[in-house]
Amino acid sequence: MEGNRSLMAVDPGDMLWKIKGLTRSIIGDLCTGHCPTISVDRFRNYCKKNSNLICGCSPDYCEGKSNLTFGRACQARQINFLLRVLLIIQQLLQEKKHGSKRDIYYMYPSLFSAQSVVDRAINDLCIILDCSRHNLNVVSVGKGLVMGWLRFTEAGSWYDCMNNLNAAHSVPVHVEKVDDILSMAQYILVVEKESVFQRLANDRFCSRNHCIVITGRGYPDVPTRRFLRLLFETLHLPTFCLVDCDPFGFDILTTYRFGSQQMAQEAKLLCNPEIRWLGAFPSDFEKYRLPEESLLPLTENDERKIKAMLGRCYLQREVPGWRSELELMLQRRVKFEIEALSVQSISFLCQEYIPSKIDEVREWDSSSHSQSPFTTYLLSQQAASTHT
Amino acid sequence: MENGGDEEFERTLTFFSDQQLCYADVLPPSQVIARIEVAVVNFLRTLTSPATPALPHLPLISRQMSNSHLNQGLLTDVPWIFLSYSYSTRSFMRANSAKSFIRVWKVMEMCFNILRHEKQVTQRELYYMLICTTSGYFSSQLQVNKAIQDVVALLRCSRHSLGIIASSRGLLAGRVVLQEPNKAAVDCAACGPSGYPITGDLSILQNLVLQTDARYIILVEKHAVFQRLAEDGLFNQIPSILITAKGYPDIATRYLLHRLSQSFPKLPILAVVDWNPAGLAILSTFKYGSIEMGLEAFRYACNVKWLGIRGDDLNLIPEESLTPLKPKDLQVAKSLMSSGFISESYREELMLMTHRGQRAEIESLYHHGYDFLGKYLVKKILQVDYI
Repeated sequence: MEGNRSLMAVDPGDMLWKIKGLTRSIIGDLCTGHCPTISVDRFRNYCKKNSNLICGCSPDYCEGKSNLTFGRACQARQINFLLRVLLIIQQLLQEKKHGSKRDIYYMYPSLFSAQSVVDRAINDLCIILDCSRHNLNVVSVGKGLVMGWLRFTEAGSWYDCMNNLNAAHSVPVHVEKVDDILSMAQYILVVEKESVFQRLANDRFCSRNHCIVITGRGYPDVPTRRFLRLLFETLHLPTFCLVDCDPFGFDILTTYRFGSQQMAQEAKLLCNPEIRWLGAFPSDFEKYRLPEESLLPLTENDERKIKAMLGRCYLQREVPGWRSELELMLQRRVKFEIEALSVQSISFLCQEYIPSKIDEVREWDSSSHSQSPFTTYLLSQQAASTHT
Repeated sequence: MENGGDEEFERTLTFFSDQQLCYADVLPPSQVIARIEVAVVNFLRTLTSPATPALPHLPLISRQMSNSHLNQGLLTDVPWIFLSYSYSTRSFMRANSAKSFIRVWKVMEMCFNILRHEKQVTQRELYYMLICTTSGYFSSQLQVNKAIQDVVALLRCSRHSLGIIASSRGLLAGRVVLQEPNKAAVDCAACGPSGYPITGDLSILQNLVLQTDARYIILVEKHAVFQRLAEDGLFNQIPSILITAKGYPDIATRYLLHRLSQSFPKLPILAVVDWNPAGLAILSTFKYGSIEMGLEAFRYACNVKWLGIRGDDLNLIPEESLTPLKPKDLQVAKSLMSSGFISESYREELMLMTHRGQRAEIESLYHHGYDFLGKYLVKKILQVDYI
């Protein structure tokens, strides 16, 4: 179901029309004496079946429907929540305002006994109305930061990151209003942690390298993922991801690449299928001779998490190289953070590690004869700049 | 001429109270390096003294309640916390503080090297550098942070001067234009609902040129409320500047707020916090400073007034949104009450909270509609309903 899920803005009028349609059909059923049923598709981003079996998982994979009817008491309660949230959303759309999930909860806190109730209702509504959360005017606070060779407008105001290359700018919350994207970057670097982003800013990384640096400050929120997707679709630049060498870093990496299970219905819009894992790998420990003291032992939770992630079907299918590094992490039972790379020399990360890793990727691409068109573009840019 | 005379007079009156005051300087790297060298020389001198060689103690400005005072300037009405010259010592000779003695020296050594190379590091990077070069003395980030605070107390210079980068946590929006020298000006009213991120680099904040036509500064506790108010354009409905630290205030946000209040002294600073002890604690930190950051506190304290939510607004909050206080809230309330610098009216509010055993968040006002929060704030501001 392609429907209205896209990065483009959707006319609120269309959404209101859909809401009217849904309400009309429920009332119609009631008037004719039928028990109204709302069916909600269930989506899955990955499954944990034995990786030998072939599963049908893919972005937007619909694994069935669940039906909600008025007939059963618990389901009727769920429909009540759905309709109540729908009412609030209709108001938001009519008044051209935006609200967060928490704001919606606070409208009727006695009815919605917990935040999770509202979250679930919103997700179901997105599936039923076949749209994205932002089409319902439900937004979250912006968490991401961006800097580098980029310029764009959001609802008419200019954001010129190129004016001050090493200063952080907030990732815009209303990504559908972003336009006029202009960039002189050769690649996009996504970093997991804000502290690494600060290190890059402090070392003036963007002054020396023509790139865009983005951080989601941990697990990326929806605006950051949408923004990254927008850059991917507009600029077609190679994208690299720098995370800690631990289970959470890996999970964040897969979120950028494949999307998350909670937002499985919109995975296609929120992921970047070409993002490459730049580091840190477990094998980097020997390669860059990191100090022993910077290694931390994996906790029980860490091991459990790694084992759970190893079961995800898309790893074996799409990125077997990533899977082997993850197995190595489990085997060695240690993890380390990116800051370990700064111990011997503070500028090691910016001056040596990142540039050499990017060069490696280019070499690998050119030697494997399956050079992606993006790497060709990158090399041609380099050749052009060495000429001048 | 007359203005100059008034300033002189003010300075003279606060002269004696300032003599008791100990503060952390914002210094250029060369001066911090010099202070470290002086500390080493003093240590060696005591160690090698021909008459009485001894291992000297490290005199650190004590960061205890007993050493803190509330300064109520005679002519100013901005009270702030300062630490006086009472020392706690780190001594190598006492078993339980021997390791912390060494930790202070190790951090000083690391900072010395960092400053010599004209670099800056984050606290996490400093932690890794310390555990990889001096095994056995540092076992957690917390110990590193404590040792850093000890060095601040010893050398009496700010953490930023030691070469430690602070994170950028705060946001700014509204009717203010910022300009870094030789860069283009940024109009915070055009920054959209996400606002302008306040950099953690104090030296950049120091050099910012500020311009405004606002009449109020509105300090918001939470990010979500900041975004809502920025999106609703509150700063255009009533000319104002919105600022938030997204929770517990960091040095950079406090510093910028301080600069705004110094550059535009006629603008009242109004705080919008949740009705719970933690919200009041955040307000107090902006207002008085905090004892842990005691040495750096006074520089950045501002005359913040409490706009909302307060006790008399409780009739606007639906019953279901009033949730019970948690044990942690009660702890925070207790420490605020015993701190000795909370004003009488704030104390009454705290007692109301603990008496009712309830708390409420700002978002509970959305029950009356999304634009209710903006209207409620505007009404309170125009009625000068803040304490």
